[in-house]
Amino acid sequence: MLHHAGLLLKLVCGMTGRTWWVVTLAVLAGLVGIPALSWAQDATSVTTAYRDIPQLGGSRNIIWVIAQLHLLLAGFVLGVPIFAWVCEIVGWRSGDKRYDKLAKEFTKLLTSAYATTALFGGILLFLLISLYPKLMGYLTDIFFPSFVVYCVLFLLETVTLYLYWYGWDAMQGGTMKGVHLFLGFLLNIFAFFIMIVPNSWATFQASPVVISEGSDIARAWAATWNPTWWPVNVHRLIANVVLGGFICGAYAGVRYLSVSTSEERDHYDWMGYVGNFIGVFGMLPLPFAGYWLMREVYQYNQQMGITLMGGFLSWLFILQAMLIGVLFLGANYYFWLGITYRIPGAEAKYKAPILTMLVILLLCLGVWMTPHSLVASLEEARKMGGTHHPLLGVFGVMSAKMTVANLMILVTFMSFIMYWRAGKQETATWAKVARAFMAGVLGVAAIIVIVLGVWGYFVPAIVRINYFSVAQVLIVLFVMLTITPLTAVLLKSARTTTEMVWGRMPPRAGYALVLNAVMVILLMTLMGYARSSSRVHWHIYGVMRDSSQYAYSPALGYAAAFMALNTFLFCLLVAFIFWVATMGDKGKAPTASGKGALPHGAMPAMAGGSQGLDKP
Amino acid sequence: MSEVVLLQLIGLAVVGTGIVILLFIRAQFARVIGFVAIVLGIFSLVALAVPQMASLPPAEEKFDIATVKTPTDMAAIGQKIFFSKGQCALCHSIGPSEAARCPDLKGIGAKLSREFIYESLTQPQAYIYLDYRHGGLPKEYPARMPYINKNPIGLSKNEILSVIAFLQQMSGEPISVSPSELEIPGQAPAAPIKAAESAPAAVAQAR
Repeated sequence: MLHHAGLLLKLVCGMTGRTWWVVTLAVLAGLVGIPALSWAQDATSVTTAYRDIPQLGGSRNIIWVIAQLHLLLAGFVLGVPIFAWVCEIVGWRSGDKRYDKLAKEFTKLLTSAYATTALFGGILLFLLISLYPKLMGYLTDIFFPSFVVYCVLFLLETVTLYLYWYGWDAMQGGTMKGVHLFLGFLLNIFAFFIMIVPNSWATFQASPVVISEGSDIARAWAATWNPTWWPVNVHRLIANVVLGGFICGAYAGVRYLSVSTSEERDHYDWMGYVGNFIGVFGMLPLPFAGYWLMREVYQYNQQMGITLMGGFLSWLFILQAMLIGVLFLGANYYFWLGITYRIPGAEAKYKAPILTMLVILLLCLGVWMTPHSLVASLEEARKMGGTHHPLLGVFGVMSAKMTVANLMILVTFMSFIMYWRAGKQETATWAKVARAFMAGVLGVAAIIVIVLGVWGYFVPAIVRINYFSVAQVLIVLFVMLTITPLTAVLLKSARTTTEMVWGRMPPRAGYALVLNAVMVILLMTLMGYARSSSRVHWHIYGVMRDSSQYAYSPALGYAAAFMALNTFLFCLLVAFIFWVATMGDKGKAPTASGKGALPHGAMPAMAGGSQGLDKP
Repeated sequence: MSEVVLLQLIGLAVVGTGIVILLFIRAQFARVIGFVAIVLGIFSLVALAVPQMASLPPAEEKFDIATVKTPTDMAAIGQKIFFSKGQCALCHSIGPSEAARCPDLKGIGAKLSREFIYESLTQPQAYIYLDYRHGGLPKEYPARMPYINKNPIGLSKNEILSVIAFLQQMSGEPISVSPSELEIPGQAPAAPIKAAESAPAAVAQAR
């Protein structure tokens, strides 16, 4: 689990809060700790490779829990600024104060969230130095310059966050709003670099490169540019947006279940919608980023790829398919509930399309969950008649999985479009043509995706990987980039026939939002285990072997127990952070100022609604 | 009680606790916790229902030369390496197989000389066997033979010779590798391991 070693510095710097002493303490810990790594190298010449604390479950398990919690918290504190900044921009552009309020509400979380993240980062750093001194010495030797860069980045991030948060009210008018938005932009830029620097340490462990002789900076730079660095950067960036969105949705869902006033119900219903929207928006390109990452893994080292996809981790991807499938179903279900309950009278109209989409999603999920070649025991292989199932094996190959993944994305996208258009009647003269065009684009795209998927069985793998799969992705992107603006233009002049009503969602909508967040967190813990286990018995693949008693990857059931534990602990931590951050709000009535107090029926600008046109 | 059974019981207890909370507790936050517990418990139970395979590190083959008396002894060791540390069976089959990603090695010891096999293992790109054709459906990824004597597999010369002995024996050929060719540890310096294309070794000198 030591790929999280790459995060050791997210710790040194992982904090920022109103409690300056926490920041100072952690930074000091980092500054003291980093040179200590180098000195340890010289002084002890790494006579001690490992230390253990068996009374607490063993060094590997301790690191597993702490590193996973730190990583999840880091994803949260890096995802929330993106979420908040996007909401602030939407509020600024649309004039809808609710978005600004939402953005501020979440930025407020950052102060306590950063401190908590830093706390776990500090614990992780000390544990790594203590329990894995040899590995840490090696990594420090290579990456020392980037450690320094990381600390500087963290200080910049801290200062920017303070300005962004404490300057919120003071920078609301005129040009100052622009300054504030720029601060939000800087916050995210620094956060992005804070993410990618430790990613280089973690990815180096999985895909080390030859390090040429040269200066410290040259060597660190060479190690940083390893083959999986950018795929992981992109994947994590998108995943953080998804995490931020769905956690916002879950928070809104929990509050929605608890509140008693109609204003609060409206507010948290709307917040749940926004969170789910951003989560889904980020989720759609995520499979493409994952595909790119796996492809780079295969190109770097085929054995590692086989270990992941066809080796002892192959069942893991069946679990992954299950989690992603539930996530897609949950996100779509929430959209469908929205159509049914927020748009009175729409239920009958959309019943058939919803049922159709549900069936498609379930069929796709079934294909996605079909195992491919598995490293099975001799007995299991005999029972199956080989490593492929004689009947279902045809669905287990990547061609089928890529096809259904694209179809599920298309269905989810269409769910959103359906939700967007519900309760509206297009008045444009060219509306009929536009609708026919959109239906045509969708239908042709779906057919092409399926044809390419079937054709993929009959061409060399390299052709399918380099051309067919890429073409499928581009086609789906084309559909999104075509239908989204066309729908927006079409609805600009549309007449609202049925106004959207907030606060009428049933309680199960709140649980659906919680379920989505839990699925995302579980997925992150699952893929963390996958990435770590793909290195098998190496701390640094092919370079530094794990010679400890924990140099094995546990079976999936054992690992899943840890994933569930970590997910539960993280949920509790997030709940605590929300509770602490909103403690001061208790007793205050929800401020429904400005457009936040819009009557029922106001469609959020993000959904393409026009405030002016929505007025009765 | 096995570890799996214990974890299954814990998973069931978690799910049960969640159900009890949902049934008897009205506080919404507690109910959400109960719901999350049910989801996590079910996830754990599903994960425990699939085949449980741990990835154990390859055993450090103690090549005790004193115990190797005959070429057959070498072949027996080679067979173990073929299916474990060498990871050969991950891609190669012995006999036709749809699942095999790489050439079928049945009878390979009769078709190729030991020198050629040794070169194929240690310099896989030195000579590409142009006559090779893969039958059946295209494989997931184009296979590329790794350097067996370099990390991450990193077989020693003795281990490679043993694998060759196994391949020859499995092909019904007389084993041309002799125990006398084995290097006694400490007498022959190990070949320096250079960075391999498939899994480059990073060499960072301590400052």
